[in-house]
Amino acid sequence: MARISIDPITRIEGHLRIDVEIDGGSVQKAWASSTMWRGIETILRGRDAREGWVFAQRFCGVCTTVHAIASVRAVEDALQLEIPANAQYIRNLILIAHALHDHIVHFYHLSALDWVDITTIPKADPARAASIADGISSWPGNSHRELEAVQQKVKGLIASGQLGIFSHGYWGHPAMRLSPEMNLILFAHYLQALEFQRKSNQVVGILGGKTPHIQNLAVGGVMNAINLNSLATFNMDRLGTLQSLLQDLIPFVQQAYFLDACLLAASYPEWFRYGRGVANYLAVPDLPLDAKATQFDLPGGVIMNGNIGSVRPIQNWRDEAIRATVAEDVTHAWYQGVGPQQPWKGKTDPYYTGFGDDGKYTWVKAPRYEGAPMQVGPLANILVGYASGHALTRKWMDAALNRISSVNGTKVTPDYLQSTMGRYLARAVRSAMLSDLALKHWQLLSDNILKGDDTTYNPPQFPSHECAGVGMHEAPRGTLSHWVVIDKGTFSNYQAVVPTTWNASPRDEKGIPGPYESSLLANPVADPSKPLEVLRTVHSFDPCMACACHTLDASGRKIAQVKIL
Amino acid sequence: MNTRRPSALPTPKHVCVIGLGNVLMGDDGFGSLAVEKFRCEYECGSNVEILDLGTPGLDLAPYLYGTDVVIIADAVHAHKEEKPGTLCIYCEADLLTQRAQLRLTAHDPGLQESLAQLKLVGHAPFELIIVGVVPESCAFGTGISPTVLSSSSAAVDNIARLLRERAIECRRRHAPVQPNLWWSSGDRRLSSAMLRSLQTAAAQQEHSL
Repeated sequence: MARISIDPITRIEGHLRIDVEIDGGSVQKAWASSTMWRGIETILRGRDAREGWVFAQRFCGVCTTVHAIASVRAVEDALQLEIPANAQYIRNLILIAHALHDHIVHFYHLSALDWVDITTIPKADPARAASIADGISSWPGNSHRELEAVQQKVKGLIASGQLGIFSHGYWGHPAMRLSPEMNLILFAHYLQALEFQRKSNQVVGILGGKTPHIQNLAVGGVMNAINLNSLATFNMDRLGTLQSLLQDLIPFVQQAYFLDACLLAASYPEWFRYGRGVANYLAVPDLPLDAKATQFDLPGGVIMNGNIGSVRPIQNWRDEAIRATVAEDVTHAWYQGVGPQQPWKGKTDPYYTGFGDDGKYTWVKAPRYEGAPMQVGPLANILVGYASGHALTRKWMDAALNRISSVNGTKVTPDYLQSTMGRYLARAVRSAMLSDLALKHWQLLSDNILKGDDTTYNPPQFPSHECAGVGMHEAPRGTLSHWVVIDKGTFSNYQAVVPTTWNASPRDEKGIPGPYESSLLANPVADPSKPLEVLRTVHSFDPCMACACHTLDASGRKIAQVKIL
Repeated sequence: MNTRRPSALPTPKHVCVIGLGNVLMGDDGFGSLAVEKFRCEYECGSNVEILDLGTPGLDLAPYLYGTDVVIIADAVHAHKEEKPGTLCIYCEADLLTQRAQLRLTAHDPGLQESLAQLKLVGHAPFELIIVGVVPESCAFGTGISPTVLSSSSAAVDNIARLLRERAIECRRRHAPVQPNLWWSSGDRRLSSAMLRSLQTAAAQQEHSL
């Protein structure tokens, strides 16, 4: 029996520690611990409800937009305030562009190097790589010349003896199994992705006025002034720029990223067997199509016990089950309190005890839906869409499954997606789908403006009595909800239940572990001193700890450590 | 560091002045403070972008892409124990040799990773300079400490000097604008900037109806 502790686990977003006990080459027990205190909500208490989003978008430096949106939606929900259709479309376009950006960065820059061994690239035959790539995709970035140039860069990097940021990879690990040619193709796309990361960012910038911290939001809508005849406002020119940015971005998503994820899955089919974990899935509806938010382009729902043929739909954000049964448990988290608390009544009083395997061991609370842990994220989003018969989800998921099945010669079914590899694939399926939706929402916005509708904002009215609301958003990492209580226009309580809180949840009062923890059970580990396989499963969730918890005092810089205890 | 630039180099075309750090975490908000003060006290040519980027992790790369000169303001850990409020100016080599360490904030700024990626694709900044300050306290929700606040003027003047030494247009404003440090006020009522933009939005709406 070996016990290892990896701290911090993420390539960039630190503060997540994973402890695993390994026996016979696989994980027997796991603990997910956040090493930072969560206290972001205290800063919102007493503030003007119209301004909460400005602070909320500083919770995390990567997920700025999603917290801003959830915050304004929470206040609008409390006031039962409708927002104009233009405001829905503009927000939706921002959310889609942000999600595409986030998914691209996750696949290539935050996790591809768990699967792609760049040190084999000098051995690749660029001509052969180009012909393999040609057989897969019409993506123009796969030319022989392009791949040869990338190979030269990697050769130069390796010859310099200074791999720099690439020096931390588990190169040569037996679990790295792609051919040098495949590694070359994927790394070429890793570099090309930088360009497309910029384009999606520009979309957010044009609509949001600024990025990374958008400025166009308001409780009641957006502040983009629409006037087709004025140069200073949102006009045909800007709509044209947006369209051409989207038209540049989408081929990369659908012809490079989506197919790369299929290729990765086909090359590592054993990863469809690992990492299933908590097989309860939660996704909330998003991309509203009307002012009242009654129709949505992304369906919401709940799937329990891995039964992906059956979904309980969440029709809209007023869904009583989610509003009444979400509660957070602190039995194993460093907070005071007994029993699960509903977020509107939630408290965040720290009570640090040190790391106790059977006691408290993390700053992340344990959110539960009807008492059960839930997995959130693109996989939940895709499985709920598939089970609901959502046409776009089916189109892209079937395309992915058919492709992998034809490469591997065995039938890959939707059930395979309940796995580590399934989470990577689901993110790519979601991205392909969101690309289609980007153009749809661009069209909806253009048509509505051309029809003569230029309203973007309904001013909020705050009642003299206390009111409560919840703002929901299906963010890149999964279901995000901000729960607010407002008294005479100022927040009297504010709790954010974020995707990583669901997924990095510790055990609850019944001892039931959260998704990270249970997904690691039976995960293979060939060499405890190089736990690459553990990283693959944890990275499949796209962990981002900054808002799941927050630091009281960060001093000094830690290099990731693997400790064998 | 020696920040004087050889005079033979062409005038930089695309320049960025970037603030990094989390405004909700005390002195970690130094970068945001510095760029906001700089924007209010100096006027630059249209080739200079002034950006408060927060803690973007790897999302920093798009902002550095294709730039010539980048000046980053951030809270730093100095290589030796320096007093809080000490101003430190570093070049890129200092960062890569770990002589300068940026703070590990909610997200490690991801500066080294972003630079390495951009070098591989040939779009890294030609020159990168860090104007750092040693923080006193980065506790949650406390605002900027008086020590760091008093260093910020010198930081801003140094940013201007570094730009001018590189033949980048940068003039002190005749009438400085009041900086909008919305996050640092202990007053929890609606900020005046927010109120103004809400009023504008409401007026616009009324007009269009």
